[in-house]
Amino acid sequence: MQLWVPFAASAGSLLLVASFFTAGWDAPPVESTQIGYRGSGMYLEKSVERQAALKAANVAPPAPWEADPSGDRAGTIYENLQVLGNLSDDQLNQFMASITEWVAPEQGCEYCHNLENLASDENYRKVVARRMIQMNQAINVDWDAHVGQTGVTCYTCHRGKNIPENHWMMEPPPANLFSQAGMNGVNDAAGKSSLPKAALTDYLLGDEPIRVHSLSALAAGTNSAGVKETERTFSLMVHMSESLGVNCVTCHNSRAFNSWDQSPPQRVTAWHGIKMVRTLNNDYLTGLTPIFPENRKGPDGDVFKVNCGTCHNGVQKPLYGVSMLQDYLDALDKKGPADAPDYSTYVPGETKVMGAATSDASPPPPAPGPGPGPGPDQAN
Amino acid sequence: MTQYQNILTVIQIHGPVDDGIDLPRGDSERVGSPRVSRLLGWIGNAQIGPIYLGFLGTLSLVFGFIAFEIIGLNMLASVDWNPIQFVRQLFWLSLEPPSAQYGLKVLPPLGEGGWWLIAGFFLTLSVLLWWVRVYRRARQLELGTHVAWAFASAIFLFLSLGFIRPLLMGNFSEAVPFGIFPHLDWTAAFSIRYGNLYYNPFHCLSIVFLYGSVLLFAMHGATILAVGKYGGERELEQITDRGTASERAALFWRWTMGFNATMESVHRWAWWFAILTPLTGGIGILLTGTVVDNWYLWGIEHGIVPPAPHVFPGVVDPAAQ
Amino acid sequence: MALLSFERKYRVRGGTLIGGDLFDFWVGPFYVGFFGVTTAFFASLGTALIVYGAALGPTWNIWQISIAPPDLSYGLALAPLKEGGLWQIITVCAIGAFCSWALREVEICRKLGIGYHVPFAFSFAILAYVTLVVVRPLLLGAWGHGFPYGIFSHLDWVSNVGYQYLHFHYNPAHMIAVSFFFTTCLALALHGGLILSAANPGAAREGDGRRAEVKTPEYEDTFFRDIIGYSIGTLGIHRLGLILALNAGFWSAVCIVISGPFWNQGWPQWWNWWLELPIWN
Repeated sequence: MQLWVPFAASAGSLLLVASFFTAGWDAPPVESTQIGYRGSGMYLEKSVERQAALKAANVAPPAPWEADPSGDRAGTIYENLQVLGNLSDDQLNQFMASITEWVAPEQGCEYCHNLENLASDENYRKVVARRMIQMNQAINVDWDAHVGQTGVTCYTCHRGKNIPENHWMMEPPPANLFSQAGMNGVNDAAGKSSLPKAALTDYLLGDEPIRVHSLSALAAGTNSAGVKETERTFSLMVHMSESLGVNCVTCHNSRAFNSWDQSPPQRVTAWHGIKMVRTLNNDYLTGLTPIFPENRKGPDGDVFKVNCGTCHNGVQKPLYGVSMLQDYLDALDKKGPADAPDYSTYVPGETKVMGAATSDASPPPPAPGPGPGPGPDQAN
Repeated sequence: MTQYQNILTVIQIHGPVDDGIDLPRGDSERVGSPRVSRLLGWIGNAQIGPIYLGFLGTLSLVFGFIAFEIIGLNMLASVDWNPIQFVRQLFWLSLEPPSAQYGLKVLPPLGEGGWWLIAGFFLTLSVLLWWVRVYRRARQLELGTHVAWAFASAIFLFLSLGFIRPLLMGNFSEAVPFGIFPHLDWTAAFSIRYGNLYYNPFHCLSIVFLYGSVLLFAMHGATILAVGKYGGERELEQITDRGTASERAALFWRWTMGFNATMESVHRWAWWFAILTPLTGGIGILLTGTVVDNWYLWGIEHGIVPPAPHVFPGVVDPAAQ
Repeated sequence: MALLSFERKYRVRGGTLIGGDLFDFWVGPFYVGFFGVTTAFFASLGTALIVYGAALGPTWNIWQISIAPPDLSYGLALAPLKEGGLWQIITVCAIGAFCSWALREVEICRKLGIGYHVPFAFSFAILAYVTLVVVRPLLLGAWGHGFPYGIFSHLDWVSNVGYQYLHFHYNPAHMIAVSFFFTTCLALALHGGLILSAANPGAAREGDGRRAEVKTPEYEDTFFRDIIGYSIGTLGIHRLGLILALNAGFWSAVCIVISGPFWNQGWPQWWNWWLELPIWN
């Protein structure tokens, strides 16, 4: 027998065994949901085991106690309270206790605060947290087209971790004279396919047009999108599907992807979601770039950003639609002052007060006018 | 009781190797001393070689090798020359065509599609030279050129995808990338962009011929094996001097489905079905984006889209509000 | 009725599986047999039900007619006729007709004294169909998972089921099946071309306008050895063609039966096992 045969045979069988046993196959029973008309093929199949594991991993923690809204406003009691001044003392303490559990359960209060001077902004994380609270409020007040009455809290993204598990940053291209045109490689953000990696930057940071279909049967020369642009859109769509644990037909009838009257209503919610994520990345996260240290930025020096998976974590409705917001309505379902200060002036360890408001103890004016809302309605 | 089913050659007999029909003067000598492979002998002939490597064939192989190397080296470069990542990500790597801004320019910057054009050029040359080789070898042996013309149909599809359609569209960005998963991404994106290729009637035809080809080869292969005990596989002899193998084969189909082919005509059915697969497919490709920009809408206009009950009332485009 | 010139001597009794001499006759060129009767029964009933289903629908346009399976909510029960029950009965008729056809082919093989390769091959196609409309729906718990019977509506189903897995091209069994499909088409073109080129050699090389002589298998072997270094031979090519074609059907059935029951994520994710092999992780 030829020498190569046993090597080829063993390599082949090893790979076969590896693919068979380590691929993570599912098994019946399978839970199927029908989305469209019978026989259309619009179904969602989920393995019962995997669903049980997901459910166990996505449980909303209860509030530590029910906060008492009465009494003096926290802004008159505590110094340098710029956004949450209108809460009662008990509400503020309840919110702070919760936020510790949500974002830094191991490090505790000192993750953000100087324990000897709780009011001081010298810890950059406190400045970041303030901006994030503003962001959280904006999501709940301005984006109910996406989050509904369920709303979000810090836990929805952070899930008890300092950094949300699903985030993204930009990837610098390989620095050589060869192919940079497509840069195909394994795309973790698009479900391990080889679809373009630039999709998140194009659509969740930039506002590149996502739509690619022509609205006329015959070519009229008016549609500038080609196959390459479609691959980018497809990449975003795979990312969205993977982030929500759903498939393409949850939002589309694939025989006519672009047709709204054949699409399930979830597609409208998703449309708002894309716009919301763009706002979060551009108006909140990117502005914080001067504040974050190097280990909190990507190789290109950009901050960690939000994508669909950040909140959804593989579930169609984050935390299975359980609303944590109901226990934090005053803290998170109303907008306090919404402006951002000039973060480039921040010096970690030295800046005691980083804010658009003044540092005296007077409470900020209640419920100001609408803050930065969603971007202008545009076909994208 | 068990019966021999004519699938595997259980007892292999090896005689002297066949050096092949003598070639006319002007051709090169054949290359390689024939070997015997018992593994192959289970299914077909055991002899491997000799091969004819004339001028055309050698040139074709060289050009093909150049294209292969350009593609491979670009893939290696895209993982920063890391050989481990090259193997690990191999199926995901690619060499992409240039973006639309370069139009039909020869040559865009190497790293922005220039290498793709060069690789494509060498691959095309290699394929065309191989075609000439196939044609020539047939003529030198005084055979018909049917194989070459079948190959031409496949080349038509290959050129449509990578050259003719980009020419018609005015830029190379829509051509297929070199890469295992990436060319599949291209396929899916192509269908999405042009409004669902299932509604392209030439796509329908191509699939009919593809499935038909598989059906035909299953039918024909099975039929010949079924009459193997009567020498059915000796098709040329059966064509010129019909024997009981052809008769039984024909009658099987006549009694089953009411009509039949002959030992020769079945090969015409086969040839046409196989050729029409890439031919109609290529036409479907050439019409997409040039004439028709959305096949679903085209289907609506021509009355082929089945009505779907309105299951999602009230969903409207939020951008239009 | 018109027989082929050599046909009479082959029209003998015998070879039947069921029924003995009762149905052992021909109608025109068609052999009947017991299974010819059952085929006719199932096929007519199924076709009539399809026409009835079309009449219930909104159109007679041949491209738009569609008979849809039941809602998933009916599970594995028989649905009301107009709510998918019709589809279910048509499916039973189809399976009955296909199996009858295959068994009729067996009877014909026995009568002609030839091997059973054709009905054996056909059974792969039947198994693929049964996989789509019986096995996979059973594993998923509802008959509604079958595909609708309609020319373009079944393509809508294919598209949507594919996109259920985000990017169906990444299904490894689908890749294998597609490769077998294309290779079968290639092999058929080569085989058809080769036989025709030997039987129809065109003009003689001498160029005096004579037709060349019909060639022999030695020429076929030489041609393929010259161009690719190997010729599989007259028997081998038919074995290869059959093997390629049957594998195309087999792996197609595999690729769809694993989608849903044994894999319900996106198919690109499946390749993670390769990316996470310990040798490079």
